[in-house]
Amino acid sequence: MVETRVQRVLGGLLATAFALPLLVLVVRAFADRWRAPALLPQDWGMRGIELAFSGQAAEAFWTSLLVAVVTTAVALVLGWPAARVLGERRLKRPAIAFLLLAMPLLVPPYATGAGLTEWFLRLGLVDTVSGIVLAHLVGVLPYVVVVLLSAFGPEVTALEEMGRASGLAPLQRWRWVTLPAVAPTLAAAAFLGFLVSWSQYGSSLAVGGGRPMLPVVMLPFVRSDPQVAAALALLFLAPAIAALALTARAARSPL
Amino acid sequence: MSPLALEIDAITVSPGGAPVLRGLSLHVAAGTRTALVGPSGAGKTTLLRAVAGLAPLDDGDVRLGERSLRNVPPHRRGVAVVFQEPRLLAHLSVEENVALPLRAAGVGGSERRSRARERLDEVGLGGFSARRSQGLSGGEQQRVALARALCADPDLLLLDEPLAALDPNRREDLRRLIVRLQRERGLTTLVVTHDRAEAAELGERVALVLEGRIVQHGPPKELFERPVSAAVARFFGVANLLRGEVRDGLLEVRGTAVAVPGPDGDATLAIRPEHARVDDDAALRAVVRESVYAGTHVKLVVDCHDLRLELHVPPAGAPAAGREIGVDLPRERLWRLPEDDEIAVSAAAAAPSRGAGRPSA
Repeated sequence: MVETRVQRVLGGLLATAFALPLLVLVVRAFADRWRAPALLPQDWGMRGIELAFSGQAAEAFWTSLLVAVVTTAVALVLGWPAARVLGERRLKRPAIAFLLLAMPLLVPPYATGAGLTEWFLRLGLVDTVSGIVLAHLVGVLPYVVVVLLSAFGPEVTALEEMGRASGLAPLQRWRWVTLPAVAPTLAAAAFLGFLVSWSQYGSSLAVGGGRPMLPVVMLPFVRSDPQVAAALALLFLAPAIAALALTARAARSPL
Repeated sequence: MSPLALEIDAITVSPGGAPVLRGLSLHVAAGTRTALVGPSGAGKTTLLRAVAGLAPLDDGDVRLGERSLRNVPPHRRGVAVVFQEPRLLAHLSVEENVALPLRAAGVGGSERRSRARERLDEVGLGGFSARRSQGLSGGEQQRVALARALCADPDLLLLDEPLAALDPNRREDLRRLIVRLQRERGLTTLVVTHDRAEAAELGERVALVLEGRIVQHGPPKELFERPVSAAVARFFGVANLLRGEVRDGLLEVRGTAVAVPGPDGDATLAIRPEHARVDDDAALRAVVRESVYAGTHVKLVVDCHDLRLELHVPPAGAPAAGREIGVDLPRERLWRLPEDDEIAVSAAAAAPSRGAGRPSA
C-alpha cells in the first residue's frame, strides 16, 4: 500500500500548509508581547480577545452577521426565480442576462459602492442596515443565481410534474418535491452568499458611513495592533466555519 | 365507486408552439383499457399530458364521466400517471414515495403507511417499505411508481411506455401485473406504447395515432387484420398492398388473376405476411430474395416481377433465397381497404389535408 502512504503524506503536507498560517494567527491573538527574533511570544494573554469582543468591534460583529444573514435570505428569494429561468434555459439569449448579472463582479466593489452612495444619499439610505443590505445584494445576488441555476433543469421539472399528477397542491409540491430536490445546491448558494456578504469591504465602507462592519473595523488594526487584528480575524472566521458546517449537513440530509 | 368513461373531444394541443394534436377525439369506456400506439413523434405522450393537465388545450375538451377537466388543475383531476421513467423522490423511502398522494390528501400517518404497504404488496414489493429508491432495479422502481399511482385511487390511470426501459422478461411480468391490477379495480386506463405487439397485449382496444390524429380505434385484431388505410396497414406490419381494378371478382396481379372479395372497381387489398402462403401449385410465381430465420417463423421477401411481397412461413421447409415459388393469397384473408384509402381518417377528423398518408417504417 505504498500509494496510500504517499497519498497520506502528501495530504498531511497539504493540510499543514493550510493550517500553519491559521496556527500563527491563533498564537498571535494570544501573544501580549512577541518581540522580533523570538520564535514564541514572551508573554501570553487575553488582551487581544478582550479588545476584540468589546466596544466597536463587538458591535461590528453583530452588524456584519445581521447584514450577511438578511442579505443571503433576500438574495435566495430574489435569485430563485432568476436561477429557475436561466437553469431551465427558457431565455433566448441567456448570454445577455449573464453579462448583466456578472457586471457588478467585473467592476471593482468600491467603484460600485461609490456610485451607490451617491444615490443612497439622495434616498436617505446611507448609514442604514437596509442600505448596506442593498449594497451587498449587488455583489451577492450574481453568485447566488449562478450557483443556484445548476439545481434547475429537466430532472426537477420531471419530478414536479410527477407531483402535480400525484395530487400535490402547489405549496405541497414546493415543500415536498422542489425544495428537497434543490436543497444541496440551495445550501451551497446560501453558504457562498453569506461569505460574500460577510467579507464585503468596499461597499460596506462606501455605503455604511459610520456604521462599523467587521472587515472595515479589522483593517486599521493590522498596522496599529496586530494582536487585536489577529483576534478579530479569528472572530471573522467563526461564522464562516459555522456556515460551512451547516451547509455540509444540509447537503447530506436534504430537509 | 363506479368507474368513469374518458371522453377526449376534438382537442388541439401545441406544446412547443406548433400543433401536435389536431382535433383529436377518443373515447375510453368506463373500466376498460385502451392502448395508444403510434410511431415516435405522433403525439402519444402529448395526448397523455393533455389528459393529465400537464399540457394546455388550445381547443376541445377532456371529460371524465360528466365532468369537464378543461379548467381543472392536474392535482384535482383524479388522474394518476405512470411516466416512462419512475420519477421517484430520492430523499424518501419507497413507502413514503408510494404514500405521496395520500399525504397530499391529508390522510393520517398510520393509515397512510398501511395503505402504502398494501399497494406495495400488490405490486410484489412487500418487503421494500423502508428501502431507498436508489438501490432498486429499473423494474422495481417502475413497480413503485405503479403502486404510487394506484395509491391515489384515481378515476383514470395513464401509463406512458411503462415497459420501455425493461428487459423482455421483466417486461412480461410488469405487463401481466398492469393488466391484472386494472381488471381487479375496473380502472379506466389509457396506456401509451410505440410497439404494436405490446399494444395488442396491453389494450382491450387499440387506438393508432398518426400525425396527431386517431386514425383507427378498435379491438387489436381489427387493427392488425382490418386496417382502414394503407398507413394503418403499414404500421401494423402489412407491407403487402395490391392495387388495381377488380373485374368479375378478380384482380390482375402482374399477369395472374387473383380472386378477391368485394365489388368490382378500383381497389386496394392488404394481406398480412403470416396469411400469405407458399404453394408450389399456385399460379402467382415469385422469386425468393431474402429468407431470414426469426425464431418463431422465417421471413421471406419475394418478388413477383416488380411487386415485392413479404411472407411469414413456418421454419420447417422454408424455401431458401434464389428459389422460385408459388404464392397463394387466400381470398378470405385478403382485406379490402376502404376506398379513399390514403385519406381515410376515422370519423370526426376535420381537414384531411395531410391525412394519414405518411407510411411508418
